[in-house]
Amino acid sequence: MVENPYRLKASRIIRVIKECEGVYTFHIATEEEAQFGQYNMLYAFGRGEAPITIASKGEGYLVHTVRAVGDVTRYIDSLREGDLLYWRGPYGNRWNLEEAYGKTLLILSGGLGLAATRWVFEEAMKRPIKRLIHLYGSKDYDSLLYKYLYKEWSLKADFRAIIGTSHPQWKGKTGLITDLLRELDIEKDSLVFICGPDPMVKACVSLLKEKGIEENRIYASLERHMKCSVGTCGHCMIGPYFVCKDGPIFRYDLIKEYFERKEV
Amino acid sequence: MEGKGKGKGYIIGIEGLRELFYLLSESYKVIAPTLRDGLLVYDHVKDFESLALGYKNVEGPALYAVEKASNGYFTYTHPANSPKAFLHPPELRLMKVKRSDGALSFEMERVEEKYCFFDVRACDLSAIKILDRVFIENNSHPDPYYKSLRERAFIVAVNCTNKTSTCFCNTMGTGPEVKDGFDLLITELEDSFLLEVGSERGEKMVSLLEKKERAEERHFEEKERRLKDLKDSMEEFFEREGLAQRLYGKMDSTHWEHIEKRCLACTSCTQVCPTCFCFDIVERNSLESDCSERVRLWDSCFSPSFATVHRFNIRQSIHSRYRQWLMHKFAYWVDQFDSFGCVGCGRCITWCPAGIDIRQEVKRLAHG
Repeated sequence: MVENPYRLKASRIIRVIKECEGVYTFHIATEEEAQFGQYNMLYAFGRGEAPITIASKGEGYLVHTVRAVGDVTRYIDSLREGDLLYWRGPYGNRWNLEEAYGKTLLILSGGLGLAATRWVFEEAMKRPIKRLIHLYGSKDYDSLLYKYLYKEWSLKADFRAIIGTSHPQWKGKTGLITDLLRELDIEKDSLVFICGPDPMVKACVSLLKEKGIEENRIYASLERHMKCSVGTCGHCMIGPYFVCKDGPIFRYDLIKEYFERKEV
Repeated sequence: MEGKGKGKGYIIGIEGLRELFYLLSESYKVIAPTLRDGLLVYDHVKDFESLALGYKNVEGPALYAVEKASNGYFTYTHPANSPKAFLHPPELRLMKVKRSDGALSFEMERVEEKYCFFDVRACDLSAIKILDRVFIENNSHPDPYYKSLRERAFIVAVNCTNKTSTCFCNTMGTGPEVKDGFDLLITELEDSFLLEVGSERGEKMVSLLEKKERAEERHFEEKERRLKDLKDSMEEFFEREGLAQRLYGKMDSTHWEHIEKRCLACTSCTQVCPTCFCFDIVERNSLESDCSERVRLWDSCFSPSFATVHRFNIRQSIHSRYRQWLMHKFAYWVDQFDSFGCVGCGRCITWCPAGIDIRQEVKRLAHG
């Protein structure tokens, strides 16, 4: 008898943090093994499922950050401490953090993409990485995620955030993540992890190439439409790859052909 | 399904065929070609007389008709639908979810039909093997629904002795000869049927059959001759060797836009295709909102919502959707599952309302 991949598990929500308008972070109680970069399918009764990256892991719980953009995510954002969350997973591959040992690791996060890089960033702080840099771009001050962690992050790594429009409470820079990247001095043998909207990924890759970093040293976590998460529904295909099971993280040189070409 | 007992043969007449049909009906739900709404389709057949024996399908690009054949029994090629419609049904409930007092309970669907596919041609048998890889063999999360139906299925394969104008199994290397993957194999001869055994299950079934004789060398020779005659009459449309690589080099060809002028993105090709597996999962809710079913429905890469990320469809243009389909069948599939996703059954040519002929499109793209 094979295990049914669509079977859902129930986990108690033990903590809810409001990140900003329409974005909540949930700690769900589970002992399930998971790795940074993977995602879970979160279920909303009568509405469906949504693939959500695992933002972090603590003792006995997993962390998910969910932006209310559709039926499923709107429902999940209405959940509160003590409620049950139904889900299945984890799915997908993980960030190849070991490849950065002894070198510089540059993480580039755009918007909600920070949820997909937070865990590996926190983990990288404990690993033998020579220099750890994290550039984070957000459209405005009110959309910034995990503000409560920046202080700690800044002590342990070179963390820089930039927002699209100025705000009285913002002391940092305004602009795009590419503005931060352009002025960054970085070794050619650095490893780069990117997660953000497709246009941001493309723009960052082209800047990185100008800085002499080759495409096989760049990894990107992609977002595509997913229904099954086990490589059979076909929705997430990009060229010969299934983002759900071959990804969501890809070495850039392997997907470039399909990612950069229009409408693939 | 294993190769054991292969090569052993029996000769049966039409009465033996009838006996075999009813023997199978005792243990299986027999799915066989029959006539329905002017089409030759796979359906549940209870009476031997309801089989489409003696009919033939006339097919061409955007053309289909069923006629009475002048002589013979297995005179058609394959039905309009394929075994996919049963092993990976167009609509399948995955589970029932019930809600009471805020907690959910799940009842996973069990599919346990025992199908006998009575008359599967080489193309469709290859398609089943391809689906096996997608859902079971090359999948780290094997699909329990497909697996359950597949493992129970008994397969009576039939060698084609006729073709239609849209057939191109020889080009894809899947036919016309059935080589393995069957429980029983039938080849129609001049005045009898050669019945071969391909598995222990098949052997057991044949042992119950009374109206049979041992086949002789000359019967196997007649089978070879008939298959060779058919194969020799079929055109080779393009070369398989290196095809995927040639197509990878044509992703920016202007020919895709040329196809777009004819393609209606109607999804017909993906529905009739015996290997197109893509699906959607939708929720079917009760009015009282205490029960919700998770239902798997066939989907299509031609659908405008198929590749939607945040309400934006990545493949806006029809040519990009056609490219996705063709590239998947003849290039991506090779990387994903070590085989083509096309078996050369020609259904997509017949059922394309615009008569787009994939053989010609592949030929133009790969050799143009």
